[in-house]
Amino acid sequence: MEFDPSFALSTVPTILSAIGMTLLVAACSCLGAAVIGFCLEITRRSGGVQGLAVRFLIDFIRATPVLVWLYCLYFILPYYGIRLDALTVGIAGLSIYFSGYLAEVFKAGIDAIAEGQQEAAKALGLGRLDRIIFVIAPQMLRNIAAPMGNYFVSILKATPYLAVLAVPEMLGQAFDIASETYRYAEPLMVAGIIFLSLALGISQGIKWLERRLLAPMSR
Amino acid sequence: MHDTAHDLAVQITALQKWYGAFHVLKDISLSVSRGARIVICGPSGSGKSTLIRCLNGLENYQQGTVILGGTRLGDNARDTSLARRQTGMVFQNFNLFPHLTVLSNCTLALRRVGGMARGEAESLALHHLERVRIPEQAYKYPAQLSGGQQQRVAIARALCMNPRLMLFDEPTSALDPEMIKEVLEVMTGLAHDGMTMICVTHEMGFAREVADEVVFMDQGSIVEQAAPATFFSTPNHPRARSFLNTLLH
Ligand SMILES: Nc1ncnc2c1ncn2[C@@H]1O[C@H](COP(=O)(O)OP(=O)(O)O)[C@@H](O)[C@H]1O
Ligand SMILES: [Mg+2]
Repeated sequence: MEFDPSFALSTVPTILSAIGMTLLVAACSCLGAAVIGFCLEITRRSGGVQGLAVRFLIDFIRATPVLVWLYCLYFILPYYGIRLDALTVGIAGLSIYFSGYLAEVFKAGIDAIAEGQQEAAKALGLGRLDRIIFVIAPQMLRNIAAPMGNYFVSILKATPYLAVLAVPEMLGQAFDIASETYRYAEPLMVAGIIFLSLALGISQGIKWLERRLLAPMSR
Repeated sequence: MHDTAHDLAVQITALQKWYGAFHVLKDISLSVSRGARIVICGPSGSGKSTLIRCLNGLENYQQGTVILGGTRLGDNARDTSLARRQTGMVFQNFNLFPHLTVLSNCTLALRRVGGMARGEAESLALHHLERVRIPEQAYKYPAQLSGGQQQRVAIARALCMNPRLMLFDEPTSALDPEMIKEVLEVMTGLAHDGMTMICVTHEMGFAREVADEVVFMDQGSIVEQAAPATFFSTPNHPRARSFLNTLLH
């Protein structure tokens, strides 16, 4: 079967109609993974029993395939009376899975902050939460904009996993077209190109943000 | 100067600290009156930084007492925050927050700890930036300033919290010679305003001019404690003498 450009073009509107869902899942999962990952890393740094527990938790999260998280949340939680819809499960699963990786990125970002920053903040009387929010987090974000952006792209590329839960994201739409028409190359190609442009958009956005954030510190 | 407990800004009694097996502070006792200017000097590694960091809870200690402004500090969060409210600290490496403007460096604690509104905090911060003669840099970032300017901002930042006691840990050691003077001038101005100051410094000119008392530390102990004129002209202890000699040469 030859590649048919006009057929490819005709699939664009249907596949694009799911771009909103893909972006919603990706954006919520990025936010979720960042929030969970940051909390994990802060707890890990606080040491003690909970710090040790979180260290194992982070390793465990990273060692478990993302599909396992999705299946567990979708099929096992209901046994405990927790019934989540497919979209929520999808976002939660991606958030948990990537939180383990982002925790490692955050660790590197915090390790790179000079020890004196914490001390100066303490000496000024700032409490732990204020130190985290106003002194540590902003400097950490500047340190890790690039690797964090890479993980955001990875999260975007992981959204098709939600097909197993029948969440109508872009690759799922493309596949639906393919199974109806028995033409795979065109819809998959179209979906691939859209993913590529979104990924490029994210990394360009991160680069721009990095330049802006770093500007005052390096002049 | 009266020697009643009420007039004491700091009273350290029989302070002992270990880092693991390493005895870093050995039976330190030191009283600092309100308004006094103490200079602490001594060879590197003698425990000067550790000592002053015990005064604002950046370090804990195993034995002895620290009384700050009449309150005995225990090893708990409440006392630590009390100590930090009463003290301001200036570090060798300035430790300004690089992601914040000079003005925000000064207002952060005012707003978050002091609960002040932005406008009020900013006008107070500008007042202290004028005091360190740097108000025109308020909207710049630390990296845009010279070392001397950064250290003066750090002093203003500490002053904003209205401390009763200022701790300086080698504030000019990271500065190029031409910038040392501007920082020492600001510190001298503070002393003339009556601020209680404990300064770890090897700036002997400053010590002579400003200090009431010079404390010489070596290997975790206070070896000698005297008025600057006495300390510099006739140091008692041989280690103080050899230390002064290395400073002169
Ligand atoms: N966190 C630490 N753990 C172990 N030893 C330390 C630590 N901090 C400082 N020391 C040691 O304690 C001694 C005193 O250090 P410090 O107070 O910084 O000396 P100074 O300020 O007089 O140069 C030094 O020998 C230093 O190596
Ligand atoms: Mg020191």
